[in-house]
Amino acid sequence: MTTTRTKQVPRLDEMTRSELIQYLKDTVKPEEGLIPSYIFSHPKVYELEMEKIFLKDWLFIAHKSEIPNKGDFVTRELGGQSVIVTHGADGEIRVLLNVCTHRGMKLCRMDNGNQKNFTCPYHGFNFKNTGELIGIPFQKVVYGDTMDKSTMGLKEIRHDVYADLIFATLDDDAVSLDEFLGDIKWYLDLAFNRAEMEVVGLPQKWNVDGTWKLGSDNTISDSYHTLVSHGSIAKLGLVPTGDYSKYGYQIYTGNGHGLNLGMPNPDGFAFPENLINEYKERLHEDQYDILKQMKNMIVCVSPNIMILISSMELKGQQVSHTSLRIWKPTGPDSMEISAWVLVEKDAPEEWKRLSEQANTLTFGSSGIFEQDDTENFTDITQNSKSPYHLQENIVYNYTMGMHQEPVENFVGPGIVYKDKFNEANSRAFFRNWLDQITAE
Amino acid sequence: MQEKIILQYEIEQWLYKEAELLDELNFDAWYELLDEEIKYIMPLRINQMEESKPDYSEATLLFDDDSTTLRLRIDRLKTDMAWAELPPSRTRRNVSNVKIKEVSGNEVTVRSNLLLYRSRSTDTTADLISGEREDVLRNENGKWKLVSRWFLADQTSLATRNLAIFV
Ligand code: FES
Ligand SMILES: [Fe+2]
Repeated sequence: MTTTRTKQVPRLDEMTRSELIQYLKDTVKPEEGLIPSYIFSHPKVYELEMEKIFLKDWLFIAHKSEIPNKGDFVTRELGGQSVIVTHGADGEIRVLLNVCTHRGMKLCRMDNGNQKNFTCPYHGFNFKNTGELIGIPFQKVVYGDTMDKSTMGLKEIRHDVYADLIFATLDDDAVSLDEFLGDIKWYLDLAFNRAEMEVVGLPQKWNVDGTWKLGSDNTISDSYHTLVSHGSIAKLGLVPTGDYSKYGYQIYTGNGHGLNLGMPNPDGFAFPENLINEYKERLHEDQYDILKQMKNMIVCVSPNIMILISSMELKGQQVSHTSLRIWKPTGPDSMEISAWVLVEKDAPEEWKRLSEQANTLTFGSSGIFEQDDTENFTDITQNSKSPYHLQENIVYNYTMGMHQEPVENFVGPGIVYKDKFNEANSRAFFRNWLDQITAE
Repeated sequence: MQEKIILQYEIEQWLYKEAELLDELNFDAWYELLDEEIKYIMPLRINQMEESKPDYSEATLLFDDDSTTLRLRIDRLKTDMAWAELPPSRTRRNVSNVKIKEVSGNEVTVRSNLLLYRSRSTDTTADLISGEREDVLRNENGKWKLVSRWFLADQTSLATRNLAIFV
């Protein structure tokens, strides 16, 4: 007796690469607001992402204020590859592959520090913080004259800086950082060029069994979830109840980058008053006008950066806090979150402390807003792993706001929608993502 | 000597009781153990070169709380929308190596180890948060109250989805 099978689970791992790409094109339909669930955890999709996005895009690795002095360095990761970001003896910033050119040992296992040279723990090759190989134990004895040290320096990774944010790319053919960022720079200025900003300490890191994409998706377009996911905060009276998170704009600036701008701020100016002149000097007057009214700003720089300016009342004072994080993929269904806190360098010490405390209380690993998000990321990702989702081609609905038209009269660049409850930015993000991973 | 033994016993019992209250989600009773002026701090553990340097950063704090913000965290957990702890994590706090470092007036400084086991929902893998505490306890009218807690985790990148729990 034979049974007839009406449905089959598409076997993505048995498909050729072009079949897989075709399958993605057939099933992911951003413009229709249809995003299939398998993309949130399938290892084959992850492989494409690593190759086509994380080995190619410009990725954030450090803020300049983390390495202010000659010799300062931080170690970071880039497309699964460890790198050392150094402030060289010559004053130059470099991004060096953290791989010894002799036999591949990780040269440095510290998070940060100040060093002129790095000595390899395996055989002791010694490199300057400019990447140059300067010492080999027993060189004369073991190599005679055959070793040319000048060809054995640490590999330097292409990097560039905008608004003190150091980006690097593993793709030498990538477009310039300037072109990659495009119009999102106008909004990055509000976060990082409004005043001289500095990172507080080092980024904290924690690990979530959820895909990095849900972090970016949530960042770029989801103000809607705050009503329920962060409903406890409204119940405590920390934010107004109801539709507070709706007011403002949702803006898409291209290349997968976009933001949600919450304004006006019913509670008044949330930035240090003593810096108003600095803000006015550094920002265009339209930008300053936005800063003046800003309640919050949540920016996604594709693929995996979230920048947040938020404000709240703490200890009787209206205070804003600024942070940057990356949703770093660590597998098809997991990520490590790294979160940096930044403050205005010339803000009063008291204000800085309050701003840091507000950030710790609300965002970061213990943040009372943030905590709830990781439940969503985890459960959506884990659900999507069931083969049933592939068999049924379960798709999620991203159609919110499709009936709306962008507004024309906004002062900043981008495609701008009035109010933040919209999924236009997610549709654009996933279109960009799909184009990237299906590119030949 | 006998006084020392009694003090050691009292402090140990206090820490065990505290752990029990937290494991039983009895946050209000736990809050009663805290002094009004409490400082509740968790610095960031980092990988550092020199052994002489402390391998943590107090510039980056994972908890930076006082009695007002701790109250807020507890009140939040009581709302029916504190999703991060719905259902609540099953936790088991193992407190050990309790060493009284200093006694001054009615205050003691005590170091201890904490191994916190955390199980979420249907997860079959558990989160482990291990670290060291330095607490200051003050005796007021025969009752010990926590004046400050400093907790340093052993991981530089925490293997838990959030810190919706107390340490
Ligand atoms: S691997 Fe670095 S010196 Fe041999
Ligand atoms: Fe959220």
